[in-house]
Amino acid sequence: MNQEPKSKVTIFHCINVFGEGDALPAAAAADNVEINFVKMPCSSMVKDVFLLRAFEAGADVVAVLVCAEGACRYVEGNLRAKKRVKWVKALLDEIGLDGRRLALFNVTAGDTLAAEQFIRDASSLAAVLGTNPASVGSRPDVIKA
Amino acid sequence: MIVGEQKPISEIKQIVASYNKILILGCGTCVKTCFAGGDDEVAVLASALRLSCRTEGKEIEVEEQTVERQCEDEFIQESARAVGRNEAVLSLACGAGVQAMARRFASMPVLPGVNTTFMGVLEKPGLFTEECSGCGDCTLAVFGGVCPFTRCAKKLINGPCGGSQNGHCEVNSETDCAWHLIIERLKALGQMDNLRIYQPPKNWAASLSSGPRKLIREDHVL
Repeated sequence: MNQEPKSKVTIFHCINVFGEGDALPAAAAADNVEINFVKMPCSSMVKDVFLLRAFEAGADVVAVLVCAEGACRYVEGNLRAKKRVKWVKALLDEIGLDGRRLALFNVTAGDTLAAEQFIRDASSLAAVLGTNPASVGSRPDVIKA
Repeated sequence: MIVGEQKPISEIKQIVASYNKILILGCGTCVKTCFAGGDDEVAVLASALRLSCRTEGKEIEVEEQTVERQCEDEFIQESARAVGRNEAVLSLACGAGVQAMARRFASMPVLPGVNTTFMGVLEKPGLFTEECSGCGDCTLAVFGGVCPFTRCAKKLINGPCGGSQNGHCEVNSETDCAWHLIIERLKALGQMDNLRIYQPPKNWAASLSSGPRKLIREDHVL
């Protein structure tokens, strides 16, 4: 019997948005979504190639959770992340992968409810957009039509 | 430095369309600084190409390498093994680097992934401006270190046109008026008398207009 493949979501997040001590992540996911978290000391560390490699690894949606604007511990890290995400979204559109698969969310530090909601939003987006067309072959659970 | 800009992915895909196994070769000097062809850009382009091909149901093998300079044989030879493993090289160097690679690897297609645009400087993070035309006859000493041949839209060499406004060029208001800069600089240097010297028409014979140039340093030639 064919089983619907799980959506894959990769979340890059600044450790100031939520850290290891927070019980947030898995609780936010729906049953049919597999979420991978990549923590960073600051969202400015999210290089364009990391985002692309996440898609190469099979992610259907990649979300970047950054601190609220004006609240970055390193002053402009989240602004740099925002520009980089914008650039990669354009690149995704150009290569036919759909820039909507990449999203950036500003989260106030410690606001776990908001972070959970954004993770749910990313999961819903994965359900709407479907399987990443470039993941066929790299994901054993996805079979090309 | 030489400033370049990566070609659009759609054009790069057309260029490499007939190959299944390519080496993307970066250059770690000028084009790295202007974010067109360093190791980071090699990684991004390789990833983007793989994703793009997979999206269309095709497979492409992409190997990545960056050498310090593609315009010098000494550094080019580091890529020899990787070149031998692939069907073509997509070079992210400037045009000089692409041609140096093509010369070195005579039977290997070496394809350009970058549009070489100008010789310039990093004015501020992310902003590169053209400063030198490589005319072969530098007169920056007269103009206080600001080149009117490159930076004045009208290439005037005996004073400003009079059309600038608030220090900006009338041709492009986002560009500083070269003559405004020259005068400010000469004032600061106490060399305004330089402007009393008549500048004869530029001798363009030393420029690219006379065909490709060669520079020979006899003391280095055996």
